[in-house]
This record gives sequence, C-alpha cells and structure tokens, in this order.
Amino acid sequence: MLGKGVGGGSGSKAPKPSFVSYVRPEEIHTNEKEVAEKEVTLHLLPGEQLLCEASTVLKCIQDDSGQHGICGKLVCTDFKIAFLGEESTLDDNEPQFKNKVIGENDITLHCVDQIYGVFDEKKKPLFGQLKKYPEKLIIHCKDLRVFHFCLRYTKEEEVKRIVSGIIHHTQAPKLLKRLFLFSYATAKQNSTATGPPHQTVMFDTIKDWHWELERTKGNIKYKAVNANEDYKVCEKLPAYFVVPVSLPEEDILCFQGRGIPIWCWSCHNGCALLKMSAFPKEQDESNLQIQKAFLDGIYKTIHNPPYETLKTEDLSNSFISLQEIQTSYSKFKQLFLIDNSSEFWDTDVKWFSLLENSNWLDIIRRCLKKAIEVIECLEVQNTNVLLIEENASDLCCIISSLVQVMMDPYCRTRFGFQSLIQKEWIMGGHCFLDRCNHLRQNDKEEVPVFLLFLDCVWQLVQQYPPAFEFTETYLTVLSDSLYIPIFSTFFFNSPYQKDANVHQRQLSLPLNPNKSSPKRGFFETDHLIKNLLGKRISKLINSSDELHDNFREFYDNWHSKIVDYHGLLLPHIEGPEIKVWAQRCLRWIPEAQILGGGPVAIMNKVLEMMEEVQSLQKKIDEKHNSLMTPPLDGLSLLRKPARLSSLFPFALLQRHSSKPVLPTNSWKTLGDEEDLAKQEDEFVDLGDL
Amino acid sequence: MWWGGRGRSFNIPPQKEPEMGSMQVSRMDEPRSPQTSSCPALRCLPGERVLAWAPGVRRGLEPELPGTLMCTNLRVLFCPQGWQARQDSVLNSDYDFSLSNIGRLEAVNGPGRPQILRPGSLLKFIPDEILIHGRDFRLLRVGFGDGGLEPLAFRVAMAIVQAREQNSPAQHYEGMILSKACCGLGSREPPVPLLETPEDWEAERRRQGARGWRVSTVNERFDVSTSLPRYFWVPRRTLDSEVRKAFSHFHQGRGPRLSWHHPGGSDLLRSSGFYEASDPNREDIRAVELLLQAGHSDIVLVDAVDELPTLADIQLAHLRLRALCLPDATVAEEKWLSALEGTRWLDHVRSCLRKASDISVLVTSRVRSVVLQEQSDRDLNGLLSSLVQLLSDPGARTLHGLQTIVQREWVASGHPFLTRLGGSGGSEEAPVFLLFLDCLWQLLHQFPSEFEFSEFFLLALHDSVRVPDTPTFLRDTPWERGKQNGQFSSYTQVYTPGSPQAPPVGDLVPRPLTVWDWSLRYSHQQILQFYNPCYEPHHSDSCSSREQPTSVAPGPPRSIFLFSRGTLTPLNQLCPWRDGFSSLMSSSRWLPRHNTSSDSLADQEWGLPPHWGASPLPPGLLLPGFLGPQIRLWRRCYLRGRPEVQRGLSAPTISGLLDELALLQGLLRTWSSRSSTSDHTKTKDPDTPPTPSR
Repeated sequence: MLGKGVGGGSGSKAPKPSFVSYVRPEEIHTNEKEVAEKEVTLHLLPGEQLLCEASTVLKCIQDDSGQHGICGKLVCTDFKIAFLGEESTLDDNEPQFKNKVIGENDITLHCVDQIYGVFDEKKKPLFGQLKKYPEKLIIHCKDLRVFHFCLRYTKEEEVKRIVSGIIHHTQAPKLLKRLFLFSYATAKQNSTATGPPHQTVMFDTIKDWHWELERTKGNIKYKAVNANEDYKVCEKLPAYFVVPVSLPEEDILCFQGRGIPIWCWSCHNGCALLKMSAFPKEQDESNLQIQKAFLDGIYKTIHNPPYETLKTEDLSNSFISLQEIQTSYSKFKQLFLIDNSSEFWDTDVKWFSLLENSNWLDIIRRCLKKAIEVIECLEVQNTNVLLIEENASDLCCIISSLVQVMMDPYCRTRFGFQSLIQKEWIMGGHCFLDRCNHLRQNDKEEVPVFLLFLDCVWQLVQQYPPAFEFTETYLTVLSDSLYIPIFSTFFFNSPYQKDANVHQRQLSLPLNPNKSSPKRGFFETDHLIKNLLGKRISKLINSSDELHDNFREFYDNWHSKIVDYHGLLLPHIEGPEIKVWAQRCLRWIPEAQILGGGPVAIMNKVLEMMEEVQSLQKKIDEKHNSLMTPPLDGLSLLRKPARLSSLFPFALLQRHSSKPVLPTNSWKTLGDEEDLAKQEDEFVDLGDL
Repeated sequence: MWWGGRGRSFNIPPQKEPEMGSMQVSRMDEPRSPQTSSCPALRCLPGERVLAWAPGVRRGLEPELPGTLMCTNLRVLFCPQGWQARQDSVLNSDYDFSLSNIGRLEAVNGPGRPQILRPGSLLKFIPDEILIHGRDFRLLRVGFGDGGLEPLAFRVAMAIVQAREQNSPAQHYEGMILSKACCGLGSREPPVPLLETPEDWEAERRRQGARGWRVSTVNERFDVSTSLPRYFWVPRRTLDSEVRKAFSHFHQGRGPRLSWHHPGGSDLLRSSGFYEASDPNREDIRAVELLLQAGHSDIVLVDAVDELPTLADIQLAHLRLRALCLPDATVAEEKWLSALEGTRWLDHVRSCLRKASDISVLVTSRVRSVVLQEQSDRDLNGLLSSLVQLLSDPGARTLHGLQTIVQREWVASGHPFLTRLGGSGGSEEAPVFLLFLDCLWQLLHQFPSEFEFSEFFLLALHDSVRVPDTPTFLRDTPWERGKQNGQFSSYTQVYTPGSPQAPPVGDLVPRPLTVWDWSLRYSHQQILQFYNPCYEPHHSDSCSSREQPTSVAPGPPRSIFLFSRGTLTPLNQLCPWRDGFSSLMSSSRWLPRHNTSSDSLADQEWGLPPHWGASPLPPGLLLPGFLGPQIRLWRRCYLRGRPEVQRGLSAPTISGLLDELALLQGLLRTWSSRSSTSDHTKTKDPDTPPTPSR
C-alpha cells in the first residue's frame, strides 16, 4: 500500500501502520501508477455528471505543514465536490454513522461556504477569474467542515481546471432550473417507488388543514379556504390556508393576501396565534387611506365575539433584524471554522468573550423570550396574538413555530415536528432559496433563519430531553439536509415556486418567478403598521413595563413548579442556560474529541436500561397473559463494551486501533436516525412528475 | 418521579410533615417564652449552646417551609418543623451553616435596601427576612412573619452577628473533639484507611503493587517535618538515615517520596523544592539522587507551578466567581459569559486539567520516575498527583478510591486546609482543594460513566470542608491533627470535658470521626445518591504489566528531563548543588510554550502523527478535553443560591428509568413469590413506590 510506514515529513517517530498514508513529495511521482490502480470509483447519483477532476491531490489533515495527508483525486460534479482517497477502500473502517448520500469526503456544491487559496503561505479568498492558481485550496462548508487540499503535486492544467471549475460551480450565480434537484428528479423518474404512507402532514391539501383545525379545536372560529387554489390570488401564499370564519372571502382577494390575518395554531383555551403580512411602504396618500380602511375593517371583524381580544406583535419593528442575525452568525461560525488547530488553542482563553461578542446566543435568547411573551398572552391573558411582519415568512416562522413547540406536545414528536416545519416554514413561504443563498444570486439575502430556529429548539431539547421524541442528532442531521439538493423541501422560496417548477419542468420557466413582489433591500422596518392601527388596537400595544412584569411573573411562576413534559414547556433563558450547540459546531474538530466520554456514555447506559426494562416488561406481560407468545428476537441490543467518543456519531476520523465497535443495530434503536436520509424522502414530491 | 430539586443539593422530594398540626399549636400556645419552649427539637452537639432562635419560614424555593432559625455557638441552622424527629443524622446538610461558612449576612426590611451585617455592626431595624450567603455558594432565606415575634427575629440576627465575631479556630477544635463523643456509630473501622498507622501504609503499598518501596518510619515523631505524615514510602534500598539526611536539603524537609505506583511500572513522586542554601556533601547528593531516581533509569522532573495559577490567582478567581454567582449579581444576561470568563476560574481549571493530562501521559507511556516538584509541596502537587491518579487508574475512580486519594494526597500529605480556606485568618487563603473538586467535576462531566461517585458526592465533599465536626479538614498539618486527636499521648489526654457519656473503654481510644463518616451529616437516602447510576465498572483491568525488574542496580540515570511548558528539556544533572547548574527554577520558568500547535504530548510520546490526539490509548487512561467550549461551569454547585437558575441536571432519563426498573423488578418479585392463585391482583399496583434495587 502506498506510503505505508513511510515516515511523515516531520520525521519524529515512525508512525504505526494505519490507513493514513504519509507521503513525501518526492515519492508521489514514483508511486503515481499505483495510485491510479488503487483509485476508488466515483459513485454518481442518477443524473449526476462529472465536470472536472484532478489527480494527485493531497487532502491535508488538520495540519498546516501540508505534509500529512492522503493522496487521491479531487473531482467536481454538478452535485458535489468529492475527494477520492484510498482510505475508503478499507471496508472494515465503516463509520457508525453515515449519510447515505453524502460521504465523508463529499461536499455538495450548496454546502460550500467560502473558498480560500493559499499563495506563498498567504490565505486569500477566491472568486471570479483567477490570474494565478493557488498551491492549496481551503474549503469552508456551511455545515462547519473545513477541507484542505494541497495542489502542489498536481499537474498545472489540472489545477487550473479544477480550481476554476469549483469556483465557478459554487460561487457564480445560478439559475433556478440549473439546480441539481431537477436533473436528479428527471433521471430518477422511472424508478419512483411510492414509499410508506406519509406520517408527516404536508399541508398541501385542504384536508390536511381541516385535520389540523380539528386537532387544535380551532374549527369553530376558523375555516380553511381554497381561494388561492392554483395561486390565483397570491404567489406568496400556499394554495390552502386558514382564516377567521367571519372574514369575507373577497377581503382575501383585495391585496394579494396582505393585511389578512392567517391562522397558525389554536391554544387549548380557544385563543389563536395568527400572522399577517404587512403592507409594503406606500407613498401614495390615497392608497394609504384605502389600506387603513381595510385594516380597520379587518380588526373590527376579528375583535367581535366569538374572537378574543387581540394583541399585535410587530416583528419587523420591535425585534431582531435579519441583518443582525446575519452578522451575528457570520461571527459565530468563524469560531468553529478553524484552518489549523493552533488557531483553536489561541482562541481558548478568550473563548467566552468571543462567543459573547458574536451575539448569537443572545439572539437565541431573545427569540425564546419573545416566544414566551407570546405564550403568556395566549395562556394567561386569553388574548389572540397577531404576528406582523413584512412577508410573514422569517421571524414570524421562528416565533410561531417556537410557540407551538413549547405549547403543543404533538410538535415535540418527530412527525409532529416535521409537520410543523411543513406548515410554518414550507407552506408559510419561508424563502429557503434566498435565505440559504442556494443560487448565489444575492449574498445579502443569505440569513440563517431556519438554523436559528433549530438552534432555539436545540436549547429546549437539551434543557428537557425527555419532553422530545427526537434527539439533538436529529436536529443536526436536519440542519445538514438544508444543503443536500436532492430533496425539494428546502430549495424553494414558496410553495408556488415549487409547484410551478416541479410540475412544469418541461415548460419554459418564467425568469425569477419569485420576484413578483420585488424586495426592497433588507426589510426596512414598516412604520405603516403603527399608523394604521386603530385607537383600540394601539391601546393594546403594551407599555413595555407592564409587559415585563407580566412576563417575569409568568416565567418565575412556571419555573417554580415541577415540569410536566407533556404540557407547556418554557425554556430557561438566563445567562448560563443558553449554550452552544456543541454537537453541530464541534463535531469536525478532532481536538474536541473526548474518547470514552461525552453524552453518548450516558446514552449507552440508558439503552442498556431500556433493554432491561423492555425485557422485564415482556416477562410481566407473558406472566400476565399466561399464554406463551412466540419469543421475539427483537431484544438483540448487543453492545460490546466500547469506548465511544464524545463526537459520536459524527467522529469519522477514527483511528484503527481505537475504532468503536458499536454494532449498527443498536444504533437503529436510538430512533432510526440513521435512516433519516431515507425518511427525508418523504418530503420530496418528485413522484408527482 | 424526577424531583427538580431546585436550589437544593439533592433531589430528594420534600417529605410531608405529619406533626405539623401539633407543632403549630405548641408554638402558638406560648410564643413569648422562648427559653422554656425553645427549640425542644434540636439535638445539640456536645458543648453546643443555643444562643437565640426565632420561628420563621424558609423562602425562595417552593414550597415554603415553616420552621425555626437557630443560632448556636457553633453554627446557624434552620430546623424545618418536625425535622429532628425524623432525621437519622445529627446535622442537617441542607440548612446547616457553620459560622465560618457564612460569607455574608443580610437583613431585609420591606422594600428598602438590605443591610449587610458585618461583625460588630448593629442592626438598625427589625428584619422581615434574613439572608445567609454561604461561602460554599449556598443561600438560606428565612422570612419572619408578624404575630408578636419580631423581637425574636431581631435577637437571632444579632446573635448571629456576635457569634461570628467570637468565632475562632479554637472553637472549631473544641467542637470537633466534642463531637467525637456523640458517635453512636457502629463500626470501629474507619470507612477509609486514615493512613495514621504503618499498617495502613503497608496495606496501601501492597495494593498498589509497589514492590520496590517500603514504609519509612523516620518521621514517626514528626522530627523530619511536621507537615509530612508520620509514615511514607521510600525506595526499598534506601536507609532511614539516608532519607533523613537527604530530606534536610529540601524545603520544609519534604523530600521526594512515592505518591503512586502505576501498574505499568512507573512511579509518581512528589517533593518540595531543593533547599538551595544548603551545601550537601557528595554522599548526601548521592542519596538525594537515589531517592529521585527510585530505581528507574529514566527520570522526569515536573515543575508543578509552571503554567498553573498561583495561590493568589486562585483566591482572586474564587472571590470573583462567588461575587458573580450571588443571586443578586448585577450582570446582564447577555454579559454573563464574558463576566464568567473575567473571573478566570475556568481558565485555571483548564490549565490544571491540561497539565494533569500531560503528566498522566508521561507516567503511562514509559516506565520512568516522574517527580512532581513544587516549592512547598503542599498545594498544587497534591492537586496534580490526585488528578493524575484519577486519570490513569480506574480503581481511583470509585467512591472508595477517591476518598483514599483525598485522605492520602491532601489530608495526610499536609495540605494546609485551615490556612487555605481562610480559617486561620491569614492572607494565604486559596481554595486549592475546591479547584481540585471543580477539575474533578469536569472529568465527571466529560466521562459520565467512568466514575462510581456522582456529582452529589462532590457537592457533599465541597460542603464538608468548612464543617467543624471532624478533624479531617480545618487543620494545617498531620502533626496538628494528631495532636488534637490525642494520638501521641492518648492516655493522659482528657477528651470530653463537657460530655456526659463515653469515656474510652479501657485503653481503647475511640476512633476519631472523619469526614468520611457520611452518616453523621447525611441521611441514608442522600448517601444513596452518592453513587453514579451511569457508572460502568471497568471490564478488563488488563493494564499491560510492563513491570520493570526493580532489582536492577541503580546505576547513573540514563536520561534526565525537565518537563515544563509542555515539553521535555534534557537536564545534565538532577540536583542544583553541583557545579554549573543553572538553577532549575529560574532558567526555564518563563520560556514560552514551544509548540503552539496541537502536537499534544500524547502524540509525541507514542510517536503518532499530530493530527489525531486521541489514539490507541492504554486501557483505563482518560484524556480530558480542555478546549474553551469543553470546560463548563459547575452550576449545581456555584449557582445553588439562584433558584431561578437551578434545576435538575443529572440526566433525568436515567433516574426515571431506574425507578421504572425498580418498579418492574419489584412487581416481578412479588409475582414469582406469590402463588398463581392471586393472579388477578397483579396489575393493580403501578403506584407502588419502587423499592430501591441498587
């Protein structure tokens, strides 16, 4: 095997045999043939095309000297950038957790965050046309991985091709129809096997909305309407949605869905959470008057019985701005995107102040706090709450989903959570395409709103693990699937856009269908709302003192009681309680690995005890029934004593000798996270093609 | 059911009080005759006098508990109603504050600013509420209702102020000696070897398998050093006279002696700094070298102070941490993290863990003698050697193992507990032991299934250091401890002047109580929580036995290294007194750490490429993480005073499962014992309280 046993560049000690090769520059060329023979074949998905490749690339392993690494081939397809090294030939080195689509050395094009080149030891960001080609490529990924590819031993023309290829396909603006999603769907078309029946409610039929209304007992005061079927009224709204019963249908048509209260969820006491997209800023006085009159009418309707009093929460004015979220996250992620380990050591001492400086945790705290405030209104004051935002599709989604996760135990099951995302985010028209910047058309629109939501949920999960059916690993994997372009779920700006593109694939697409309501920069705050509110309403916009007292009382009161995991759940939001989502952020950093430690050690014990509980339960059942059922062989949670590491299940860089030996079948019992990729397929509607 | 346990150290459900009614009545009957009816329930320690008391309500946590606040000459305590009747331990761990533990006393009246009561200050009003902030981060809030009892509240507050004023170490001693008398505890055997007899040391030496060592009795009369234990381990080949001579060239006479023998063959030694002013002759130098060499040809001297915080640093950080964790600390939520960083406490924890982890690699990777050297050998040496043992020895991670280590490396080795915890009023206060407990908690947090003890045990230990009822802590040297125990002249010493009972039977001295007699202060239920439900006992203790034949003639050492700044530097000689030695301490102390990269010592030592720190580790060795995000705040300890922050933190799922398990096992047991006739009653009792199965 190549380079086995050859001393590394630093040459301090003879390395033990392992799957990592230690290659000296001078040996590369003599061994080149051997490399070619040993090469792994590239696995392409249906519809995936190879664009360019380069051989004898060194993948460096967390080390800036560039001399430790694996030799292999770097390829770029229209789906991913992949490195084919020889390590993957070792079949006994199967990691316990493996994404079925994305391998250890695969980066989907949408997952690439920033690319740097190293020229003469200097690191520069790469974009556009290059005059000079770097000797080393550093790729920062959106899931916080960092790859170093050394191109020093690669042929010059190959370097040119691969570098410009990668830069072009990841950085240049793209058209929607060029998304890999479509080529995959086309190629996969004939093999559409309808999977198991959906347990996730998709909210793409009126029946789903009826079901949800019934579940929350909101069906007396609210009705599902089909006014927007075929997107006649508005391209921003879903085909079906729910409005107050007394709202006349023609009102919906008036302003393309703006200014009407749309139902999100009903509380057990009948109070409802509503949302409304605000009117765009209007210069024309007469239009203003019309809008004002319209809103007054609306408020009158929903203020009469049977509706509770209404409280409005203007998220564009009095809350975090998207700009803030963007700046904060870009600072936050830098803490984990480290090029070499020495950087990490340097920041250690200042860790907490750097973290605080990024403001990310504070933004999470403010979101959670806002959600608690809303819950206080719904739960204690028995008022309806109306969330207002320009498009009702960013902060609205966060707050309304958080409220539901905290109040509705159904949303804490896996399918309930998926249904919630489907309802509030997908049907709610969150602009995933823009917010994730999948098309690289406008960097300014890139705001990790959904990630912020997941992080808020993570805080809840880690504070009350027993209240949730899913684990943090589920959330981590979910956050990763934002960047895998074979699922249509997170790749459109609105249900309209998705339907238009998925159904009329063969037809010529209108350019920029999503720009029907041109965005005006960065959500300038909408001062109109305040002006337009009637007197009665403005009274309800609370004096902040009173609000604070109510909040404090509610919060303290709840926390002084014993937690009911199946009821209302309020997170702790004090300084020490909001934490870093360590699993997601630290999983690729080998220095952060604690061998034999971390939460997985507890998890192991829990599994063991669950097993015991189950077997006892079974014995009891048997005795009770006193008729012998055929023995089940399901209790085969055989676990060898293994030292798992704290990075489980993401530690892929396992060394041979310390490789954990957790068999995969026990992993499955953790809730089938491994199959998540498969289950995600349920989101994909490509079968409709 | 999981009890959130907000604000309390243990998650044991508050028990219902049956005698509530009767107590209430008796209190209502004669509220104004305190001396006669006062605190009939308090089981005083011998020599303890109740100075004042007042009925009050424990506030701040749900539910509020009615009871009595009492101040005695030894402690302040809150007695929930009917508590004594049920309690099987003399002291109440939850509401007992020894006088030296009171960090701040506040009296509140109405919405105004609270008055802080310092020794000597005079209370200006009748308090509604008294807040006692413990130096161990606990908080007791007692509110007083009206109903004619206000003077009592005033009196108890003033009594506390005065008692604190008069409180002195001497009083601790009195309290401690006296408490011996009340030992109604069965066993005469101490729960942990106290290492006060040569037999204990010999047994421990055998247990560790240190064949090249013997127990030396050279310090039996404390004439080599008063801070050293009476017995310790020296190399088998060294004579006691050599030991005596060699030790005189070290600070405070604390020469190199064995601290722990690694099953792989290495020895961990600790010693104080060389006494540079002395001028030893050749033979003495040879003796010193033999002691350091301990039969090995490979020697590493570890500068224990290097890269670790100084005592003043530790004290400052702890003070800041305490200020930050006060319930009324005025730190904005969004500034909390930088305020925490500003205390530098976690930074100190990190450096200790890092150094200990490096040393355990040194001890494990080759067979050698590793000598921890600190100028005084009484503070950081103990911390490092304890941590190294916990990291490299699975046996040390049991409840018994940890107590043995604390007893050996801290208590017997002369850590000046009294001075360091501020008991002697000097300026040398520095909670080194609490820093050690925090490091230990980090390990427990990172390796939740590797330790037999739980967080509660660490908390109990944390809270014990200031409780003046045993001679374990609150002494500076083994000599003092022995003196007070009357070990030297036990026949003439009169112990119990105030105690009516238990004069020693014959010449059998009743064994002194130690902090390890947990049943003195903790109930059975609480002690059960000392055990970690996640603990996985170590499967195979197949520590590769690379036992070096210790009979190798101790020739000159082949390699001598100084471990400092994370790297090994070769030295050309061991002792500083020979020609041309550029003093150990001054030369290398302030060099910057050479390798800023992650080339951890583990990699260098095992010859691994530097990119993967955690590699084929020998079984049983733990390498902790010490990156910024991995060092956490021990919230259950430090934030105990903030009920709004505190909540149940140790995996609730586990305890829930344990309960379920116990329930099911109980059910099964009843069934299998019952005959099949009573089948139909089975499923009825899901509410049967689970019987503890572990």
